[in-house]
Amino acid sequence: MHPDPARSPAWTPSRNAIGLWAVEGAVGTLVLALLVTGLEVFLPLPTWLAVLLPVLVVVEGVVSIGVRPRLRYRVHRWEVTAEAVYTRTGWLSRTWTLVPVSRIQTVDVTRGAVQQLFGLASVAVLTASSQGTVRIPHLDADVAARVADDLAHRAELVRDEAT
Amino acid sequence: MSPVRTSWRVVLVHTITFKQARQWVPVVLGIGALRGFTDGPWAVVAIAAGITVVSLATAVLAWWRFSYADGDTSVVVTRGLLSRSVRTVPLDRVRGVEVEAPLLHRLLGLVRVRVDAAAGAVQGADEELVVDGLPRAEADRLRAHLLARRTAPAADAPDLPAGPVEQELFRFDNRWLLYAPLVGSYLAVPLAAVGALFRLADELPRRWRPDLGRPDLTDTAVVAVAVAAVVLVLLVGSVVGSAVVNWRFRLTRRGGSLVAVRGLLTRRHTELEVDRIRGCAVTEGLGMRWVRAARATALVTGLGDAARRGQLLPLGPREQAWAVTGLLVEDPGPLRPHPPAARRRRLVRACAPGAVLLVAGAVLTATVGWWWLLPAGAVLAGLGVPLGLGRYAALGHVAGARSFSLRSGWLVREQVVLQRRAVVGWQVQQSFFQRRQGVATVVAAVGAGAGGYRALDIGAADAAPFAEAASGPWAATLTG
Repeated sequence: MHPDPARSPAWTPSRNAIGLWAVEGAVGTLVLALLVTGLEVFLPLPTWLAVLLPVLVVVEGVVSIGVRPRLRYRVHRWEVTAEAVYTRTGWLSRTWTLVPVSRIQTVDVTRGAVQQLFGLASVAVLTASSQGTVRIPHLDADVAARVADDLAHRAELVRDEAT
Repeated sequence: MSPVRTSWRVVLVHTITFKQARQWVPVVLGIGALRGFTDGPWAVVAIAAGITVVSLATAVLAWWRFSYADGDTSVVVTRGLLSRSVRTVPLDRVRGVEVEAPLLHRLLGLVRVRVDAAAGAVQGADEELVVDGLPRAEADRLRAHLLARRTAPAADAPDLPAGPVEQELFRFDNRWLLYAPLVGSYLAVPLAAVGALFRLADELPRRWRPDLGRPDLTDTAVVAVAVAAVVLVLLVGSVVGSAVVNWRFRLTRRGGSLVAVRGLLTRRHTELEVDRIRGCAVTEGLGMRWVRAARATALVTGLGDAARRGQLLPLGPREQAWAVTGLLVEDPGPLRPHPPAARRRRLVRACAPGAVLLVAGAVLTATVGWWWLLPAGAVLAGLGVPLGLGRYAALGHVAGARSFSLRSGWLVREQVVLQRRAVVGWQVQQSFFQRRQGVATVVAAVGAGAGGYRALDIGAADAAPFAEAASGPWAATLTG
């Protein structure tokens, strides 16, 4: 195995994130199951397809509810250092994002409906570039608020107008 | 300064071009289509006269209700027929001023001023403030006033030759127009024109259409003449199209700005602040590479319509493109090739569609006896080899002392040279397969140009060191 292209950031998201991802996976699987049920009832499918589709739905359910949330939780990391915001996201493919505090333009905190059930919030750090946005998903709501305040405050102190 | 109107002569321009009345045209056409244009030529004349009167009336109203005022701190534009809109742009938000003179404006001694006031989040039409129909002298005064607050170029910005206040960097050589037929976007010009002509011919009433009869497609001579005509139209059309846009292109330095003037019918006058330039892109299409031609574009922060306004060299020899780039960004040195895994990945990507067809063809040949998919797949997979190698050969990256450079693309090869300060963030992406092959894609997020530039498939171990070398010590966070 080759070494990672970048080190892993220090902190994990909230443990509740696993639950949230599982709920998202369950909703997706449910939609898929309804779709397949509709197909089976209303369309004359060949027998092999009629058997294969439900199997695929079950596999998708196992992956998206049982496996993917845990993998995601192992990959997702974040860190705020003196100079920069640093995250790693993904599950099979991974993305490391690094933005220096001096180039931060806006800090957003969002709390989706499901996130509120789990007491979570996401922080988005925006820069002058559309591709230079750091998203720290699913932190405990109070942690997210603290991080956003701290970053917005520090960005104001060291902002580099020459973006 | 109290609000003033634009020149009354702009009413003439707008009447003739149906500027405000244009939105009525579909309505009139709709009514006409319902009633049918059966009343003979007089109905057509009446409609034309009616439209002209409406056009004149709306043009007068729009002129009468439009005013602008440029104060010490902001510029205010008031307009609207019924609902009034007042737009105030602080002078320190003004990012550029473009003065353009379309043909009709030139005949009447008028120009159109576009004030680029990019508010960041606002895109599209709201991005700029247009004051249409100013006398040239007033436009020059307005431009100078709006840009007066500009500061001198910062110290780490480019090594533009110090010298006289206004200095010509280069002017367009008309022989370069001959490159146009090899550039995709200029080739599209005659195609679009011919397409529009055919649409128009379709709209015409049947009795006005010339009766050409049916061409005899079996006659080789007819086909040969047709092909020759098409090629000629494409060649001439693209050269003419490029001449209309680029005629007498001239790039000059004036204080802290670069000024580009261009155009045959519409003279356009664009000003770029040197201090906002973060880098340059030199692009070469497949056809342009044969004749060593290229185009150069400045990557400028907060510039609306940057692809057009940022052009430094619309079309010309490669050496000239690199000479202009060299004036704005330091050369970071020769590019470093990407690891062998990158070549393998490019080859696999390029050959995969052909390989899939090949397998499908083999299966179909064995089962149904459809043999024709098999050779098609083989040819496609074979063509994938030079394509993959070409795409790999285009890849390169290097970090120099004050700048860095990335290159990619085969159909259109683009090399960007960026200043270190351009980077507002880094992204390192690694897919499941990239991880197994020990490569990663590094994206430099930049607040100019495309927003991000990729170094595709560089060695995983090189990713963090490259990021640090190309931006600053803060990027050391990647390595800990």
